Amino acid sequence: MKPIQFISGSCQRVYQDYIDRCKRIIHILSDQDREDCLMEINSYVHEYMQDHQQDDEMNSLLNILDRLGPPETTLKEIVASKKIDQAVKTYHIKYLLQALILNLRNGVTYILLFLLTILVLIFPVLIVGKIIWPQQIGLWIGGGSFVFGMHDPENSASHELLGNYFIPVVLLIMITLYFLIIQLLKIVKSKKS
Amino acid sequence: MKNEFLKNWDTQLKKGLLPFYVLSALESKEYYGYELIQGLKAEFGIDVTESTIYPLLIRLMKEDLLTYKWVEQSSGIPRKYYTISEDGKIILDAMKTDLKNVLNKI
Repeated sequence: MKPIQFISGSCQRVYQDYIDRCKRIIHILSDQDREDCLMEINSYVHEYMQDHQQDDEMNSLLNILDRLGPPETTLKEIVASKKIDQAVKTYHIKYLLQALILNLRNGVTYILLFLLTILVLIFPVLIVGKIIWPQQIGLWIGGGSFVFGMHDPENSASHELLGNYFIPVVLLIMITLYFLIIQLLKIVKSKKS
Repeated sequence: MKNEFLKNWDTQLKKGLLPFYVLSALESKEYYGYELIQGLKAEFGIDVTESTIYPLLIRLMKEDLLTYKWVEQSSGIPRKYYTISEDGKIILDAMKTDLKNVLNKI
C-alpha cells in the first residue's frame, strides 16, 4: 500500500496513527486480505482528501477518519468474517480458533463450536496418555460405568474395550469431529449472512 | 416526540433498504467506494458513511452479489471498483418484486 503524503507533518502523524491502528486489528488476517483491507481504507482517505482539497487539511483528515470510524469497530466485522473464510479454506486449527474466538459474541452456535474445538484439542492428550499409561487410559465399560479416558481398573468391575485400537479410534474421532466443526462453521456462516 | 419516532423509523427503513440501494446504484454503473457514497446521496438522498458502506460491500461480495477490481490511478493509490454480479442482478430483481408487493398492500 502506497501511503498518502500530507503537506502538514501533524496530518501525516494522525494518518499514520490511524493506519497503524488498522494494521493492529487486521494483523491476524492473511497477507492478501491485510493488503486489500489497507488499500481500501487508504483509498477512502485519499479520495476524500482529493475531494476536499480546498478545505483545511487537518480538518478534512479528521472528518474522513471520523466517517471511517474507529478501526476497532469498523474492521471488527470484516476481520471476523474473513477469519472464518480463512479457517474453512485452510482447515488450520489456529485460524479456526481465532475465527471462533472473534465470533463468540455472534451467537450460541459459535460458543458450541468453540467448545467442540477445545474437545478436539484434548484428544491428543489422551493419545499421549495412552502411550505413557497404557493400562489406565482407554474405553472402559462394565460394572455400570462408561469411561473414555483415564480409569483405575483395580477398583472397578469394568474392562477396557479398545486395547491397541484406542489410539487409531481416538485419531478417527478427532479427525471426524474436526471436519464436522468446519462443515458446521460453513453452514452457520452462510445462514448468518 | 412523534417526530422523533418518525425520524427513527425513517433511519431504520433506510438502513434496511441500504443493500437494495447499493445494488440498484451498481446496476447502472460500476463505482468505487467513495464515489458510491456520493452516488447514493445523489440518487436516493441517503447519507451513509464509509464505516457503514465498507462492511456492507464486503458482506455483499461474500454473498457473491458483487465483484470488484482494483484500478491503478496516476496518484499511485488504486481505486476498488465494484460491479453487480449476475447473482446480484437476480437478487435485486427479487428485492424489487418484494418492495412492489409491500407497496401494493399499502
